[in-house]
Amino acid sequence: HAAEYNWRFANLYSRGTAFGAVYEGLAKNIEVMSNGRIKVQVLYSGEGVGSSGIFGAVKTGLITMGAPFQSLNAGELPAGIVEIGLPGGTNDVGDLSTLFYEKGWAPILKKAYGEQGLVWLDPYIQPAVYVITKKPINSIADFKGLKIRAPGAYGKFLRNLGASPVSLAWSEIYTSLSTGVIDGSIGSNMIDHRDGNHVEVAKYMYPLPLAGAQVLPIIVNQSAWNKLPTDLKAIVKAATAVHAQEQMTKSRLWESQAVADMEAKGLQWSPEPSAADKAAWKAAGAKLMDEYAAQDEYSKELIDILRKDQAND
Amino acid sequence: MVAFIGKSVSYLMPILAFVVAFEVFCRYVLSHPTVWAHDTALFLFGYIAALGGAYVQQQRAHINVDILYNKVSPRMRSLFNMVSFILALFFVLLVCKMSIGKFEEALKFNYRRQSEWAPHMHHYWLMMSVASGLLALQLVSDWVEECYHLLTGKQLLPENIRHTEEHA
Amino acid sequence: MISIEVLTGILFVCVIAAFALGAPVGLALGGIAMGIGYATWGEALFNVIPTTLEDTYFSFILLAIPLYIYMGQLLTRSGIGDAMFNASQMLIGRVRGSLAISVIVVCSMIGAMVGIIGAGIMTSGSIALKPMLDRGYDKRLALGVIMAGGGLGILIPPSIPMIMFASSTQNSVGRMFIGALIPALITIVLLIAYVVISCKLNPQRAPLDVAPDNPPTTKEKFLTARDGLLSLLLIIAVLGSIIMGIATPTESGAIGVVGAMILAILFKRFKPRMVQKAGMQAALLVSVAMWIIFGASVFSNFHLLMGVQSMVAGFTQDLGWPPIVVIMMFQVIMLLLGFIIDEFIIVLMCAPIFTPIAVSLGYDPIWFGILMILNIEIAVQTPPYGFALFYLKGIAPPGITMLDIYKSITPFVLIKLLVLIIVMLMPELVTWLPNKLMS
Ligand code: NA
Ligand code: NA
Repeated sequence: HAAEYNWRFANLYSRGTAFGAVYEGLAKNIEVMSNGRIKVQVLYSGEGVGSSGIFGAVKTGLITMGAPFQSLNAGELPAGIVEIGLPGGTNDVGDLSTLFYEKGWAPILKKAYGEQGLVWLDPYIQPAVYVITKKPINSIADFKGLKIRAPGAYGKFLRNLGASPVSLAWSEIYTSLSTGVIDGSIGSNMIDHRDGNHVEVAKYMYPLPLAGAQVLPIIVNQSAWNKLPTDLKAIVKAATAVHAQEQMTKSRLWESQAVADMEAKGLQWSPEPSAADKAAWKAAGAKLMDEYAAQDEYSKELIDILRKDQAND
Repeated sequence: MVAFIGKSVSYLMPILAFVVAFEVFCRYVLSHPTVWAHDTALFLFGYIAALGGAYVQQQRAHINVDILYNKVSPRMRSLFNMVSFILALFFVLLVCKMSIGKFEEALKFNYRRQSEWAPHMHHYWLMMSVASGLLALQLVSDWVEECYHLLTGKQLLPENIRHTEEHA
Repeated sequence: MISIEVLTGILFVCVIAAFALGAPVGLALGGIAMGIGYATWGEALFNVIPTTLEDTYFSFILLAIPLYIYMGQLLTRSGIGDAMFNASQMLIGRVRGSLAISVIVVCSMIGAMVGIIGAGIMTSGSIALKPMLDRGYDKRLALGVIMAGGGLGILIPPSIPMIMFASSTQNSVGRMFIGALIPALITIVLLIAYVVISCKLNPQRAPLDVAPDNPPTTKEKFLTARDGLLSLLLIIAVLGSIIMGIATPTESGAIGVVGAMILAILFKRFKPRMVQKAGMQAALLVSVAMWIIFGASVFSNFHLLMGVQSMVAGFTQDLGWPPIVVIMMFQVIMLLLGFIIDEFIIVLMCAPIFTPIAVSLGYDPIWFGILMILNIEIAVQTPPYGFALFYLKGIAPPGITMLDIYKSITPFVLIKLLVLIIVMLMPELVTWLPNKLMS
């Protein structure tokens, strides 16, 4: 029988990739749990909307549900940058969960997304952001003058360490590393570094992550959401909660596989940073908070909570 | 008007090339990449590409598949053009409408590019509205011209409006 | 709800009808998608316009198109392009088709600079078409050579579609780049062989220069050689800027523009009017190309949102055929997709669906990837819908019709098909070199 609701769900990953399969799982789950009343068509990378277009496409209702990457929409929803995790933030899953559900991030984000016609569903956590370089980084001072492909907040963070952030299209990273246009690049996560073949042209991973964990939301078009009866709303929410759990367990596994794959291809880690280096790393992140709080009202609310939280620790 | 904009756009070409070359210079020679060159280059690219559209239509330089088109009589060709210009006009008017919508949205939510430099987006959507609006006007004017030709067999406008610029 | 197969059929018929009417390609594709989309989906579909617009106009990769076109226009209008070919002709000597041969060589060098089809064809076309037509070359030979040579942009590294293939199937970009070298070399050799043989058989296609009344003086020869050498320096500078890590392949177009201006000053051909005219023509071509890309992207995004990719995935199920037949079927599907979909989308859509199957049948993924690139090169050059065809029409002088272009490409497409088949039958042509160099 025909479904009552036909949804389109876009994500950033290619068909057949491990992450793609997890989103496919979410879609299947919604279909099964709703007993076929909601049918979800999954759209992978480049299938109808570009990666930075997912946010806008869900907003207008062109697609019903999306798994965007907030950094790509920093110009449309600045608070998303704080939500995903400013460089230097915590990677403790428990801390993140209290931050969102007990200390007040969730209502602020619901409002920020809601203002743009979006329903913000349970966020999920993806693994850390690391920077790969052509030469080993023996101390933080080695970052000075390095040209590193790092967009947005990550770029600002590296600039605070003395590096020169470079803007490049993702598909030019490989060639640019190989010819030396850039000396290093961040990847969304280790899996991204592996899939981009970066280790073929740059061997050294810096052990400290730029962000320990990335918090990503599932968003739904508001008017499509409002059309659902209460029971189906509950089902979609339940399915996203299951999805969040699956992202957590699986992405950890994939991250370690990706690291193993890259190590087999010759990946090496830069030496363990000194205590002073770790402190400098942290300080570079702290500077960013002021900057982002000043830019946007919602960001400020989130950062105020974060500051209060850190002061109590 | 259309020709004036088309000509002005051509001055953006060398500027675009110099912006990109300047970024290469800053990065390679000074080891200090700019934050603005990437977005500026993309904006210039978009301005050139979009604003040139009406001028391209005026010169009838939009690419078409002219296999059957070249075999039919001139008046039949006018009929063909009238049909295809309506189809094109439909699309271009939608582009204009959606761009105006995006312009208002960009103003309301203060949309910017996602880069570190974070330049405003509103001017871009305004430019798109103007570019598609001009292209729509040009299409309407061409449609009227084709209609006149279909009915009378004569040209409405002197031929020298077109091909003022020789093609390479 | 209309099935995707029926929808695809309707779209195809509409595209053919619009093409037959001689409608502007990009605007018609956009109009068709929006019209049929409105009927099947409703007004919400119109929102595909702004997202597609941002995607196509804010693509840093596509920025190579304006930069390389402008470089090409500057070279042509300043006469440097001519100098380049004069010198190469002097070098090759009085062989029939020598100019076409040097065009293929120059196109190969441009192919080593750019990573996308559009930049390759429009640059090669800007620089090389006029010199060939001026010297009385058969226009079909001239057009075909440009098309075939310009298409090498994605076969000779660097190549954006290869990077996309490698990342979406988790393969090595380096192996792909190296694996493509022998097939690229075979293609170049076959193209040159075709030019030589066809000019021998049909001498009118490539007239020899009329022997001058007075043989060129030593001074004239010296000037030709000097000009040729200087323009060769420009190519070396652009290639060098990529290899030495000064600029990315996209940015190198800007190096080329600056270089061309410096050369024009050295040649004493730098006039503000020349720069303005080159800018004018380049802007016109950029606009032509981008309105096509934009309209075509709206069209394919609509088609993708309606689920054409699941139709392609459906083709690959229930196969009980011998492996090589499956591989051949994949090639046929991709060639057919080339009728209505552009090169990047074919890679994005087919690479993750087809490659795992090819690998499970025991084939090398790099080899399969190179087959895909060779296939795309053909798909974008085959009528009715092929970006390479539209780009070439954009760059060609007004007298050249689409029919000329369709006819011109036939022998060259056959050569590329031959390369595809050779590589399909002899996987070692791809796998040998990377194994030798990288293990
Ligand atoms: Na290339
Ligand atoms: Na085709």
